[in-house]
Amino acid sequence: MAQYFGTAVEDIFNTMEERFLPEGTVDVDVTIGYNISGEGGGHWKVTIKEGTLKTEDMDGEVTDCTAVLNANAETFVGVTLGKIDAGEAFSSGSIKVDGDLTVLIAVLPKAFRPFKPVVKASSIVESVEERFRPEKAEGVDIKIGYDLSGDGGGQWTVVVKDQTCALKDVLDDDCTVVMRMEAQVFVDLNQGKLDGATAFTSGQVKIDGDIGAAGKSSSLFEKYVAEGAVEEQGEELISLKCVPSINQRYATGPLMGTWFNGLKEKKFYAAKCPECGRTLVPPREICAQCRVRCNELVEVGPDAMVTLIDVVYYASPDPLTGKIRETPYTALFMVLDGASRDESFAHDLNPRDIDRIKPGMKVRPVWSEKRTGSYKDLLYFEIAD
Amino acid sequence: MKRVAVCAVAQHKCDSNIWHKRFQGMLLDVLEDIQEQTGMHFSEKGGVRSIVSSSDDVFDARTISDNAVTDVLGAHYREEEKMAQEGLNGIGYAMSIILSGHDDVVYVAGHCKESQGESRNMCTNLSYDPFYGRAIGLDYTNVAALQARAYMEKSGLTEEQMAKVVVRARQWAAKNPYANATEQVELGDVMYSPMLCDPIRTMHAYPVSDGAVAFLLASEEKAHEYTDNPVWLTGFGSCMDSYFLGDRDLASNFALKNAAGRAYRMAGVKDAKKEINLVEVMDCYAYQQPMWIEGLGFCGDGEGAKFIDEEGPEKYNVNLSGGMLSGNPIMTGGLYRAAEAVIQLKGEAGAHQASDVSRAVAQSTTGGAGQFHTVVVLEK
Repeated sequence: MAQYFGTAVEDIFNTMEERFLPEGTVDVDVTIGYNISGEGGGHWKVTIKEGTLKTEDMDGEVTDCTAVLNANAETFVGVTLGKIDAGEAFSSGSIKVDGDLTVLIAVLPKAFRPFKPVVKASSIVESVEERFRPEKAEGVDIKIGYDLSGDGGGQWTVVVKDQTCALKDVLDDDCTVVMRMEAQVFVDLNQGKLDGATAFTSGQVKIDGDIGAAGKSSSLFEKYVAEGAVEEQGEELISLKCVPSINQRYATGPLMGTWFNGLKEKKFYAAKCPECGRTLVPPREICAQCRVRCNELVEVGPDAMVTLIDVVYYASPDPLTGKIRETPYTALFMVLDGASRDESFAHDLNPRDIDRIKPGMKVRPVWSEKRTGSYKDLLYFEIAD
Repeated sequence: MKRVAVCAVAQHKCDSNIWHKRFQGMLLDVLEDIQEQTGMHFSEKGGVRSIVSSSDDVFDARTISDNAVTDVLGAHYREEEKMAQEGLNGIGYAMSIILSGHDDVVYVAGHCKESQGESRNMCTNLSYDPFYGRAIGLDYTNVAALQARAYMEKSGLTEEQMAKVVVRARQWAAKNPYANATEQVELGDVMYSPMLCDPIRTMHAYPVSDGAVAFLLASEEKAHEYTDNPVWLTGFGSCMDSYFLGDRDLASNFALKNAAGRAYRMAGVKDAKKEINLVEVMDCYAYQQPMWIEGLGFCGDGEGAKFIDEEGPEKYNVNLSGGMLSGNPIMTGGLYRAAEAVIQLKGEAGAHQASDVSRAVAQSTTGGAGQFHTVVVLEK
């Protein structure tokens, strides 16, 4: 497809819907025709009516609109990108408008966000040598691998050594660090649309090898600026990146204390309500329903019957360890043997059983070798068969 | 006008580290205490339907902190609302539930375990703006020091007078079975205790404390079902001053004067000095006792220091509980104040019972350097 300033005419029309601003067109009722000549050109009809947008790809010359714009493909793209002066294009006649010219001037800026060229992952990677900053690479000797999947993806290795930078079209086996992600995630990261830490903690980016090297590598290169993009003045927003954290020292009280000590001995204890007889797992001070203190502890389990399961596919940090959980993982709700039927207890499931687990199944606990009286003394439950 | 009765109060003994009990266990203790005193129950027929709790997300280290305690509030399957402020505001909320006719009995309980976090200053630092306040390390202690300095300047309050406030607080605390800091001290102990933040010394600051308090409130018609000796809540007022310290005149008592004015108007109090004979103020730091007394109208503007020297605290029965200086957690400081006023008015204060008290005022504050104040008037 023919491109001008790195952009095809089609790209401009195809992105109209995502750039459309309904709130700017509440009182608008217009149709705009586009006849774009030359390679990559075509005919389009855009209808904007009371906050709605319709873009139609037409077979032939568009007429009979509130305004019709006629231009060749290069001029149209150039004006859209701000590479060609619009006023000059009008006065020189390379853009002609039939109908109400004021519609274009008054309506379009309110109806659409400015067009930005579509950036490909390959363009970002391929510009790495130009963006290299030798002055920041003194003593640096690393190989950064990129494994980008999906549309526009590919594999590359960037070799930084002796203050030089070289790009290879293959993924070397001996990379210091390899970053794996969808090509679009890579593009969004480089365009500042996605925060690196967020992408990593949410599992969108997987890093194999030296994570520290991955972090430092960004300072070795200038920021990528898309070809044809007008360097945008960022909005004056401040973001503070801090995680307020205050160490806590929780009291357990006798019931919770017995529960955790029980885990050390591979035992589960429940508090039994003296009135309704239900068992609270883990034990709590009071039966919320009967409003009486529950001092009696009874042993339950260790096997259990599954009541509810969900399977989690997004990554999230484990607050007890700070590490990102492997996905997928389960929240497994189950009734420990001997516990009352309505009082489920939740823990993890052995990941190997995810495909087979069903409500009603019997499961058994798998214990950690070294038990310290923590929730992690219990590794997970697994299907008992 | 309708009246709201306090049928009973229950106070958990305060301590600097209740390591053997979860805060849930502390709340359960005060719940059972109230049940024992009044026969309060939660059954569908004629039981308590409305519960107001007070707790703080940061101190409890979880969001929507009341979720963790509804069972020990008796709130299962009932109406429960949390006051994310010092708990005396929960009393105001419960009053509005009763005075509006929405319900006629309300159980109110607050808790806070200051010992749970590594540092309570880190907790109060989080109440400041992340860009301007937290960044320079503001917390309730060092902000109070700014106010202490301003108030000392205004009233002429001296180190000796502040020490006198602390010595007296410990003397009364020794008679209060619920107080935390009961060790007796002398003026010199206070005046030469280590400096926390000039001019606030270690012994000018209330000790780190854990505690829980509960109230049972009822309409005038219902109160007799729970007690023969009710205390009446006749006035409530609160006022919020500016968040940004630079916008405030720290020595002015602006918010407290407004809060007190509203509470007194509601209670029909024209001159606090003549009509009120017991005062409980939330004096987290020694300078605050004379300053809050001044804001409540027991002496003229800038005369708090003179009030201390002229034995005003004895004359008006100020903080016979020992006050905050003897150790209550910050989120329940006002609830403990009001609970003390209630047992005094009921004549159940034991070793520290005052004679001839008929009307009391209890005050609390939240936010650094008294940003927000709450005042209630209680009567026999």
